[in-house]
Amino acid sequence: MRYTAFTSYDIVLLAQGLGVSLALFLATTIIGLFIGSLWAVIRFYRIPVLAQIVAVVAEVLKNSPVLVQLFLVFFGLPAFAKINVTPVEAAVITLSGNTAAFVYVIAVSAIESIGRDQIEAARVFGLSRWQILRRIIAPQAMAFAIGPLTGLLVNQLQVTSLISVIGVVDLTKIGNILNLRTLKPFIVWAVVGGLYYVMAKLVAFGGARLEKRLRAHTAWKGL
Amino acid sequence: MTFDLTILAPHIPFLVKGAVLTAEACVLALAGSLCIGTVVAALVTSASPLLSRIAYVYVDLFRNIPFIVQLFFFFYGLPEIGIYIDAFTTGVIALSIAGGAFTSDVIRSGILSIDPGILEAAEVSGLSKPTIFRKIVMPIALRTSVRPLGSVFVNLILTSSILSTITLNELTGSAKIVASDTFRPFEIYAVLLVAYACLTYLVSLAIGALHRYLNRDQTEAA
Repeated sequence: MRYTAFTSYDIVLLAQGLGVSLALFLATTIIGLFIGSLWAVIRFYRIPVLAQIVAVVAEVLKNSPVLVQLFLVFFGLPAFAKINVTPVEAAVITLSGNTAAFVYVIAVSAIESIGRDQIEAARVFGLSRWQILRRIIAPQAMAFAIGPLTGLLVNQLQVTSLISVIGVVDLTKIGNILNLRTLKPFIVWAVVGGLYYVMAKLVAFGGARLEKRLRAHTAWKGL
Repeated sequence: MTFDLTILAPHIPFLVKGAVLTAEACVLALAGSLCIGTVVAALVTSASPLLSRIAYVYVDLFRNIPFIVQLFFFFYGLPEIGIYIDAFTTGVIALSIAGGAFTSDVIRSGILSIDPGILEAAEVSGLSKPTIFRKIVMPIALRTSVRPLGSVFVNLILTSSILSTITLNELTGSAKIVASDTFRPFEIYAVLLVAYACLTYLVSLAIGALHRYLNRDQTEAA
């Protein structure tokens, strides 16, 4: 005997899945932003061996499927290094690394977008490399990077759906469970897709607001 | 804690079979998404507000919904309305539709970057609208957007790994089987990671060369 009708409890399930997806998205975004900027700083200082390693790692992470990275961490690490990895840990490690690789690329091009003359002028004034990075480059690079970053985050939000494959009970997994119970794929997947769509739109909206604020000083104010 | 690649040797033919399936799916999906992308780009840039609105909604929806959700929608949904097709066809259709949304965006920006003077010259010459689109707009737009189209294609290859979730044994799917056969998941997935990275790197190199070749007259002028 199976119960195929929708119940009000399904809404709770969906909300729970939505919460898990959002929490993982936020956590991996913060970690990824931190690691990615750290890599960009390593490149900025041209630290010998480390900078090359970072470039290669970022390139590999960018050019391979997230699903394979997930499998490598979730199935590979326990077998190879004998460490137990829970699905959530594997998801956090993989998604953070993947986000970091893309943040690295954006951060590097944002740093390079700032004219050399500004850095030279700052050096003439006697600022240290760290002060240049902190006071001259970071504020401008931030305004430059926010557009691409928003696009990246919208993309990364969708990438979080892949973690359902290794058993994290996120929104997609809930969709799968509801689909198998109710056998109404059109309704279930349309609702799940709609929730993702709304989240993506919210991220894009937030990014646009932030960009407007960071670029306020360059905006045309009229004569 | 040993890293031993030799145990994978007997499974190489099986993996190659998976890689061929991946290649087939990607090429078919590339063709499909180019067709859809061209039509949608034409609709988006058309003068009719209704058509461009519909095309915009399509692009917006399929870009903002995760591919795995779209895939499940088609995979579980199509049999519900009486369409029984195998996993491979479903996968290629889903990839084409999702890829079409990204492709249309690239082609649209290619179309919008065409100098209006060229279009005016074509109109003055008395060419009909379909002829202008086919003979003037599309060649220029496609030529200038080869490189961005290439990165869409690379993304398509990476996305095709998701097809393994609907029981299709392409490269990732067969790697999963080998991993559970040999109990050496780390080696197999590490190799797979490098293989995908090399493959996409080669594709982007080829695309770069093609882009330079097709746009050779412009780069020399600049």
